[in-house]
Amino acid sequence: MAEAPIYIHAAVALGPGAVPAGAQRQVLVHDLETDLRPLVRQVLGQALRQGSHFVELAAIGAKLCLGQIGKPAAADTALYFGTGLGQIRKTESLLDQVLPPGSGFAAPFDFINASPNMAAFHAAAAVGLSARNLTVAQDELSFERALDLAISDLRRGVTPAALVGGADENFFPRADYLRRLALHDDEIMGEGSGWLFLDRDANGARGELLCVERYGTGQNWLDAVGRRIAAWGEAAIRLVPGFRLSIAEIAALREALPGLLVVPYLPYCGVYPTAAAFGIAMCLESASVQPGLYVHLNRNAQDEAMLVALRVLKA
Amino acid sequence: MASVAIRGYGIVSAYGEGVAALRAGLAAGAPVLAPLPALAPPADRQALVSAVNHARFPLHPDGTGAMARLAIEEALAMAGIGAEELRDCALVVGGSAMLAHAEQASRELYRTEPGRRPRLEQPGTLTHELAKHFDLRGPTLTLSTACASSANAILVARDLVARRRAARALVVGIERLCATTLSGFSSLMLLDPNGCRPFDVNRRGLHFGEGVGALLIEKEHAGEPRLARLAGGASLCDVHHPTRADPDGSGMARCIHQALHDAVVPAEAIVAVKAHGTGSSDSDAAEAAAMRSVFATMPPFTALKGYFGHTLAACGATETIAFLAPIKEGSIPPTAGFETVDPEIGLSPLRQPLPVQAGNYLLNYFGFGGNCASLVIAHG
Repeated sequence: MAEAPIYIHAAVALGPGAVPAGAQRQVLVHDLETDLRPLVRQVLGQALRQGSHFVELAAIGAKLCLGQIGKPAAADTALYFGTGLGQIRKTESLLDQVLPPGSGFAAPFDFINASPNMAAFHAAAAVGLSARNLTVAQDELSFERALDLAISDLRRGVTPAALVGGADENFFPRADYLRRLALHDDEIMGEGSGWLFLDRDANGARGELLCVERYGTGQNWLDAVGRRIAAWGEAAIRLVPGFRLSIAEIAALREALPGLLVVPYLPYCGVYPTAAAFGIAMCLESASVQPGLYVHLNRNAQDEAMLVALRVLKA
Repeated sequence: MASVAIRGYGIVSAYGEGVAALRAGLAAGAPVLAPLPALAPPADRQALVSAVNHARFPLHPDGTGAMARLAIEEALAMAGIGAEELRDCALVVGGSAMLAHAEQASRELYRTEPGRRPRLEQPGTLTHELAKHFDLRGPTLTLSTACASSANAILVARDLVARRRAARALVVGIERLCATTLSGFSSLMLLDPNGCRPFDVNRRGLHFGEGVGALLIEKEHAGEPRLARLAGGASLCDVHHPTRADPDGSGMARCIHQALHDAVVPAEAIVAVKAHGTGSSDSDAAEAAAMRSVFATMPPFTALKGYFGHTLAACGATETIAFLAPIKEGSIPPTAGFETVDPEIGLSPLRQPLPVQAGNYLLNYFGFGGNCASLVIAHG
């Protein structure tokens, strides 16, 4: 039996520099340390008094995304959120406070905000959702896992709609960030918040989510992915490569799949664990978006890959 | 939603290694409580905790990994599952102990290179290692929903199995002690220096515990033995406040109602409840209000955090096991730490072991960030 189609009705890609609109987005030339508070007040209508930078990223993205659908989401809309680093800045602050030579006393708000699920809480609160709310922390594939859970619940009618996001914040000093994510010195550290609103109604959809598939360790995932993409049998397929995909792996896919177009997004958001959320959302919200089949592909350090395929529909 | 069978479980807790040690500890009724000077929190914030044997399981990723492997091996042995049957097994982990590991790494580095930061592990690291160790090739996930993490992991694992995404699923709940978390709860004035006293009039908060619990979940097959059946459950978000439930218990009650609906079990068919029972003033009052609103006649209820502490992200796994293990022997443990009814709550949890009946049991788990999860488990 064919699985129920899932449609995308809204997409937001908020990157460094606090620029949520695609037309104004620029290629990053250096790391950015962004103050999101003005955007918080603009988007949410008030400051997030107890929220961290990470919480702000998530709440702004969620609010902008639901704002696109033009009506309040049903209260039983579920929220799925992926993060690779969680509240990394608050975690570092807490360790400084509690461990020598710190005072030993944890600041209450830092402690509360050190919990990664606090971002999903504030995102849900900002848009009035009180149904299922899951935070997935699975490193580079956190967003894909969250999206997979959402699709599974939608297809089985467990939830009528889903708000799915991924966010991570950068942190300084830069050397620590690069070391933590095992990045090269020429990579720009990123941060951002990407969100999709999904349901099973084709009416007015901007895209259709075709699949989220996992290619486990112990198999030649690159060949398997190549065969999977080829099986769609379309002339113009756009590959949206995640940050762990190497130049050699992209080249191998292009060799196996002549005509494969590559749509890079990391120049706009930098490198961070849930950049996939930004990249996938950008495919849908860019002013110059091209209809067609897009496949986002990323892998983790354990050589496990995840593919997200979506069809961007005509406006 | 289809129900699934719980076919095995294993645990490392403050009572020791394995379900037998846990069962003996619960039967003796004595909480495991001790100070933990090795973590050296500020002097005025010394607190009693429920610790595992740190000589055997150091506060390090290797120690936590060893705990998880032991718990999983016990669950697999109980279920009679061999290595060859694990290929199509999912792994859903609640919690990561990342903060405890980061704290320990920072302490060690401070001794030798003050001012330098350790490279912190990522939350999914232990999940990957466990999947690799047991050659699990099904979906792997790490959930981070505070104290509802591993209860949500049980529900996600149920979905994976019921939807045939995996033949079976291992759920692992993980929590380790750390001074950072102790200090944080102390700052929020949520630590009871005398140990957790759920629903008691003199309750002052939780006491921190650590442990790892593992459960093996499979689709039900007629005639096959099972320890219990997960009949249903629900998880949702109470957006009243980041750290406090709605005082009227409405968010918690909504979760319980949804869980009962999912299990197709009426409230009056619940034989007994395992409350979340943190021992904090607000949370216990809200949970009591929630239970009152759901049940016309309040069934017997117990709370387990007085025995081996609040194991936070792991409590969904550890407390489910701590509820199921004595049930298998015929009784539900009373509420350690409870002595005096709070007149504002007006409910008394179990003070004596309750003989087990066949039927449906409700298990509640609530966390910061509004995360609520309720499970309905059928026994017998």
